[in-house]
Amino acid sequence: MTSVSIRIAAANGDGVESSGALLGKVAALYGMEVFGNRGYQSVIRGGHVWNQVRIGDEKLYSYGDKIDILVTLNQDGINNQRGHLSENAIIIYDPSKCNIDGLNGTTYRLIPIPLLDTAVAAGGDPIMRNIVAIGAILKIVGIPMSVFEGVVKKMFSKKGEDVIKSNMKAATDGYNYQGVNRSYDIKGDGKPRYLVEGNVALSLGAYAAGCKYYAAYPMTPASGILHWFAAHTNKGVLYKQTEDEIAAINSTIGAATAGVRAMCGTSGGGFSLMVEALGLSGMTETPIVVVESQRTGPSTGLPTKTEQADLLFVMHASQGEFPRIVMAPRSVEEAFYLTADAFNLADRYQCPVIILMDLFISEHFETVSGFDVDSIKIDRGKIADQGGASGRFKRYELTADGVSPRSMPGTKGMAFIAPSDEHNEYGDIVSDILAGIGEHVAMRVKMHEKRMRKIATMLKNESVFVPVVQNEDAKHFLVTFGSTTAVATEAMLALNKRGLSVGLISFNYLLPLDAKKTKAILNGKHLIDVECNFTAQLAKVIMMETGIEIPDRILKYDGETLDCGEIVDKVTAMLK
Amino acid sequence: MPQNYSSGVKPIFCPGCGDFGVYAALTKAFQDLNVDKDNLLVVTGIGCSSSIVQAFGCYGIHSLHGRLLPIAMGAKLANHDLTVVGVGGDGDGYGIGSAHFLHTARRNIDIAYVVMNNETYGLTTGQASPTGLKGYKTKSTPFGVIENPLNPLSVAISAGATYVARGFSGDPMHLAELIKNGITHKGFALIDVYSPCVTFNYLNTYDWFRSRIYKMGADSHNVGDKGAALKKAIEDEETNYEKLPLGLFYKTDKPTYEELDITLQNGPLIKQPMPTEDRIIELLGENR
Ligand SMILES: Cc1ncc(C[n+]2csc(CCOP(=O)(O)OP(=O)(O)O)c2C)c(N)n1
Ligand code: SF4
Repeated sequence: MTSVSIRIAAANGDGVESSGALLGKVAALYGMEVFGNRGYQSVIRGGHVWNQVRIGDEKLYSYGDKIDILVTLNQDGINNQRGHLSENAIIIYDPSKCNIDGLNGTTYRLIPIPLLDTAVAAGGDPIMRNIVAIGAILKIVGIPMSVFEGVVKKMFSKKGEDVIKSNMKAATDGYNYQGVNRSYDIKGDGKPRYLVEGNVALSLGAYAAGCKYYAAYPMTPASGILHWFAAHTNKGVLYKQTEDEIAAINSTIGAATAGVRAMCGTSGGGFSLMVEALGLSGMTETPIVVVESQRTGPSTGLPTKTEQADLLFVMHASQGEFPRIVMAPRSVEEAFYLTADAFNLADRYQCPVIILMDLFISEHFETVSGFDVDSIKIDRGKIADQGGASGRFKRYELTADGVSPRSMPGTKGMAFIAPSDEHNEYGDIVSDILAGIGEHVAMRVKMHEKRMRKIATMLKNESVFVPVVQNEDAKHFLVTFGSTTAVATEAMLALNKRGLSVGLISFNYLLPLDAKKTKAILNGKHLIDVECNFTAQLAKVIMMETGIEIPDRILKYDGETLDCGEIVDKVTAMLK
Repeated sequence: MPQNYSSGVKPIFCPGCGDFGVYAALTKAFQDLNVDKDNLLVVTGIGCSSSIVQAFGCYGIHSLHGRLLPIAMGAKLANHDLTVVGVGGDGDGYGIGSAHFLHTARRNIDIAYVVMNNETYGLTTGQASPTGLKGYKTKSTPFGVIENPLNPLSVAISAGATYVARGFSGDPMHLAELIKNGITHKGFALIDVYSPCVTFNYLNTYDWFRSRIYKMGADSHNVGDKGAALKKAIEDEETNYEKLPLGLFYKTDKPTYEELDITLQNGPLIKQPMPTEDRIIELLGENR
């Protein structure tokens, strides 16, 4: 496998992000694998931002530990990125903007290109410096200009011929610049791929599942979802920006009660505000999907950095007990399928389903060859739509599997009250003057047990509540969940290459867990817990559910994702 | 055929509670309008007043304290063929739910919102609410309220509500008219109701209200004039709560949120078709 990691670094507002996306799209169209990520701060202008695009000829699991090609538009780029460079990295820089005296005598290959002057000469806009650099990169990695032309023509079709022409000129000048020559042999297989961000895959999954209502209050890193929904309100989905996250989730519950598939999304801070209503969804057995995309730390934390420290929080948030499902997609592609499944599970078990994302999986991008849309089947669960039943409708009927048929407002003769108070089968509350009276105490117990029975039903009917095992016969296993799975896969492959017998056990559905099966999978294996938090929350969940303790741990909580090399080194040391 | 708006479950109010008058008025309003019960959704919050939802035998959500408006909004946006009526207390709507009150009004969503304003937290046994008058002594304000009372009418008018009225639970016939017109009004309608808490509010009693309220005549002010409506809405403050006007303060016709929302141009969300496979693949294609 050959791959190259290219990082474009500059100040916010210099167009780094769109350049990364453009480069990624060109490679994806050429039939290469792409895995990209971005680094930025909570500022709109200035600061130091980067976009890293890794291109390869086989499936990629990370954006790469080290930078093979650095494009820097300013001095900060050199100063801040030096520590990330691979030994023989190529550095493309603009001599009018960067002083490279400090790099003399290093192993790096320095390619000065007057990016700004070339851009201005080509068409006038300084932002096109990036395009000159992209032209040079295409030459270095071996992508023909014709592929670039196709992307640019589509991208700027609305902006007119002149814009396309100047972009082509800027890129061609970069491509042909003296000293720029092909240095990598990566082959595209000619099969164009899509380049998709985690939040977009999730939104598409929701859309495919028939989600019609999305409510949110803007918060990084979940905002990508609201941007997607807002941009597609002319395609049969309603996006409602609310006054706060409390209104977001409550309006989602209102929409779901009225019968549409509904979702809300936020980060940990907003989720904190949603907690009370999460319990309302549990109590009224209203199916909703809630996205929680984690960032680093409590309170405002590091708003533009990633972490996996909200696992226990989303599993336990709210007073009281009620069934809920927690899932954490392990890749961009899986964000699509899991989200679609979330809506079916919510409807089938009439409970909240939480999709636990994080900044990394929400905002990084990967190539996907396509989504198997045909495999998405919509199952709305038990719906009472016959109407005209004699007597009052028992919305909360005490059923054997815990799931009671629900009706939607507008259905004839099937009215009921969805109550946040404890209630009887009709939804009449047994909490106020009736609380503590014999038969109503019994009803509380029966109703609580009915709701909780849904957990056993889920475990019986669904096969997903167990971890996924790779390299079954290995001696040692990395154990992880959600977004960290990708880099752990890469680490496993690297360790295997070193001759170490390492497998991977990854969790995408975390609650409920089939404790018996999970225990059977984990038992007797040497496990190494790998996750991005301080307290090893997944290991705690495993301990709670199976009694299995995992003392060996690789934990990270600096706001960045784990590097493959970091895992490989630590595991190698542990196994010595 | 006239419909029966009773589930057989009675609201659980203390004998003599003002909320019985609101219950009577709501029932009469539903009857007079003959609202289709299968398409009627009543959403309440939490408080003595909110238990009313159990009584009507229509679809209902007895939600969280202060959250009835976002829930009602979500339901209305999901299916705007429904008649959605929000009903709650003053603590619920003007205290813990105040942000939602402002923003739901501002959006002019077609919801009628009836607030049983007893200037007290009834269910939690008698603390001062945001509408409690200065000097009002309660368990939570043993030395008297020192905050200024919130004026729900002027707030609603400023925030963008398009129908703002006030009734008195001691006059359910008059109140029923205000509620009826609020339900048929297109847009966000606030009907604030003086509804005495006979158990905890010793200050704002039936007698206290009766000696101060008066019904505004048709010529009291131009209800379409926002400035005049605001002036009328602060008459209580200006007269040191000696004169409390009742009736319609403000009414204007503006497009509702549902009329403006681009998605809802194709009909109620719930009736819109599921996306086709081609459409999904087309949207995936944006990522190429
Ligand atoms: C989040 C939350 N905080 C506090 C409460 C307790 N609580 C229940 S009802 C209520 C106030 C009720 O007052 P109001 O809304 O005016 O209704 P009333 O009982 O007077 O009709 C409070 C504070 C609650 N249920 N939820
Ligand atoms: S406590 Fe007050 S508001 Fe509550 S039911 Fe009794 S009288 Fe009515």
